[in-house]
Amino acid sequence: MGRFIYRRLVHGLIVILGVTVIVFVVTRMVGDPVQVMLPLESTPEQRAAFEQKLGLDRPIHIQFVEFMGNLVRLDFGESLWQKRPAMDIVFEKLPMTILLTAVGIGFACVMAIPLGIIAALRPGGWVDRVTVFGSLLGLSVPQFWLGLLFIVVFAVQFKILPTSGTGTPSHILLPALTMGLPTLARLVMLVRSSMIDELNRQYVKTSFAKGLPFLRVVGLHALRNAGLPIMTLVGWEVIRSLAGYSVVVETVFAWPGIGLTAIQAIEREDLILIQAIVFTAAVCVVLINIAMDFLYKLIDPRLKLT
Amino acid sequence: MNKWRGLFLAAVWIGIFLTGSAWAACEKVTIALGSEPTTLDPQIREDGGERAVNDNIYDTVLARTPEGDLIPHLAAQMPELVAPDTWQVTLRPGIFFHNGEPMDADAVVYSIHRVIDPDFNSEQISFFSTIKQARATGELTLHVITNGPDPILPSRLYWLKVVPPVHSKDPKFAEKPVGTGPYRFVAWQRGQHIDLERNEDYWGASPQIPSVRYRFIEESGTRLAGLMAGEFDLITNLLPEFTSHVPRSVNVLGLEHPIIILNADSGITQDLQVRKALNYAVNKMALANGLFEGYAQVAQGQLLSPSFFGYNDGVKAYPYDPDQAKKLIEEAGVKGQTIELIGTSGRWLKDRDMVEAVAGYWEQAGLKVDVRIFEFNEYLNRLFDRKTRADAIFVVSSNELLDADKSFSAYYKAGGVGASNTDQTLASLIDTARSETDEQKRENLYHQAVQRAYDQAYFVWLLNIEDIYGMSQRLEWPGRVDARLLIQEMTCR
Repeated sequence: MGRFIYRRLVHGLIVILGVTVIVFVVTRMVGDPVQVMLPLESTPEQRAAFEQKLGLDRPIHIQFVEFMGNLVRLDFGESLWQKRPAMDIVFEKLPMTILLTAVGIGFACVMAIPLGIIAALRPGGWVDRVTVFGSLLGLSVPQFWLGLLFIVVFAVQFKILPTSGTGTPSHILLPALTMGLPTLARLVMLVRSSMIDELNRQYVKTSFAKGLPFLRVVGLHALRNAGLPIMTLVGWEVIRSLAGYSVVVETVFAWPGIGLTAIQAIEREDLILIQAIVFTAAVCVVLINIAMDFLYKLIDPRLKLT
Repeated sequence: MNKWRGLFLAAVWIGIFLTGSAWAACEKVTIALGSEPTTLDPQIREDGGERAVNDNIYDTVLARTPEGDLIPHLAAQMPELVAPDTWQVTLRPGIFFHNGEPMDADAVVYSIHRVIDPDFNSEQISFFSTIKQARATGELTLHVITNGPDPILPSRLYWLKVVPPVHSKDPKFAEKPVGTGPYRFVAWQRGQHIDLERNEDYWGASPQIPSVRYRFIEESGTRLAGLMAGEFDLITNLLPEFTSHVPRSVNVLGLEHPIIILNADSGITQDLQVRKALNYAVNKMALANGLFEGYAQVAQGQLLSPSFFGYNDGVKAYPYDPDQAKKLIEEAGVKGQTIELIGTSGRWLKDRDMVEAVAGYWEQAGLKVDVRIFEFNEYLNRLFDRKTRADAIFVVSSNELLDADKSFSAYYKAGGVGASNTDQTLASLIDTARSETDEQKRENLYHQAVQRAYDQAYFVWLLNIEDIYGMSQRLEWPGRVDARLLIQEMTCR
């Protein structure tokens, strides 16, 4: 067990370091923040002076050594765009995205598992058809369009929910729903197909023949065995969302999360902030992966953590 | 049962009526901006979101009327030129910052030195770069000394927000702004909103609206939805196609000019005939009506709005004359040749659409157009590339000082960051104007510069775009040519 954690942490560190170095090199190669930050009409002299003040005129290897030195202390420096420590911004925005993800994907899980099971009980039945049709619809609808549709219906027409922003529980409903629906659609399909597989196995038939209660067979034995792929997908959805896929929902609903901030940082060529965000996303991905391994072991004790 | 239902309905109606009337009392207006300020220090960044809020918290030394004329503001009168490089500013007495610090000559001198300090590294430096230093000569008088004569100094003072010398040294200054303006800062919930309230001790006319909330919404569709749902009273940058959906809208001729810079020194555009043909070929009126639904004016052959200093009333746009364009192209012997047109996408309103429309017109005139749309940073590399100039580069010039100098130095003058000509006559007109302190003579120089660039067709001048604001029924505001959102000028019913 200890060996497992040790190995995963080392792997994780290598991944994080690799990602960070790649981002460092790429952002410095393709972009020029000074060009974007100063007004178009600024003179070359003004640009040069500004660049020097930011320390961006120095050779890249010197910048890199300094960057790595600061990285050890988790200090990325001041965001070029916001003029305050980049990590402060990340810690301010990340919780908002985590909240949105938790509610959105939580909703998807709560809905998807019962729906998927019911559909799987009678494949080809009307519940199944409706579920599959709904899922395909949910998968094909672009998220930004869905978000705007919700705003128009619930906020503009019926005026029962706010159009955008944060602050009260009612603010999170529409963005979380928008975020959760595509996840729900994917998840329902997976729960359904996994459960169909499981329900056709011999042990299920034996259990029913023994007279075990229906709920116990389906909800406990079959679902647990179908659980691994479902968990993998949920973990993947969470990772996706924290690593920036939340940007569409955050933009439409003006939700001040990390995805929206990442896009703004990229538009403004804010190397420092981009770096801090990518680093944090990498850490999240590694941690979630380790957590997933533990959960697998919990569901299926036969698995060996190596 | 029916009786109860009747009572219930009555209660609902009373509730609606009460909330409705509370709403109509107009305690607070909500303004949706496209971006959140990153700091509320008024001197460090060049950022529209920050400006929109701070324009109400801070006062500037000079101000402009809604039509764009410079007027004294914190200054008691217009600055006087006392030596070729020295302007004397006299301030109004008895003005205090929201925290009680006095607004005097020392505060103005301090604010000037703060923004021009190289270590401060302000993004606004291009607005103040000619200022050498400032010196208080009395409690309410000061001298501003420039590097050589600077006739544009009054316009620069219109940009100068005066900050409190003591409080601005507080590390929290960027989050808790203190100015002399008609509104004082209340709270900033990052990512959510900024609240201001009326400054009851304001030295000028007391504003009508008691409190203001700013919200930040990048997505224009969401801003529009918020206005339609009654959450906002004013939204900025309303898209032209949405004006019919909002309760009210206001449009004002703005500061932005889309143009196409033609390379006068080499390539196919070296020939004056060709450059003229490229102007005749484009139907600017159709661009204004088709792309902007009429919320844009045809630019009158110059990179200036009528409200700018230097605007030449005598110069009119090249007319749309496709036959003339074809004829000139044929005469120049370039029919069927390729012209490179560079643009970007998503930076300015309808930038890509304009480039593609222009390319279409040029094709009709008999040229092949190689349209190249770049990502913004790569686009800037092309725009600033001094060695190999592209044949034609699309750009949107914006001029917040409302003075010809800024636009002309950048795009008209040989060697300017976006100029594609080496016309020394034009350059010397602009240079002379820059240090000419006689207003009449200076204006005359700009008129000549406008005429010369027009005759030489160094650009295809396209449009002057209007700013459009969406507003709720209860808000009244005529808009301003300088796009400043001054709550003080708004009223609410």
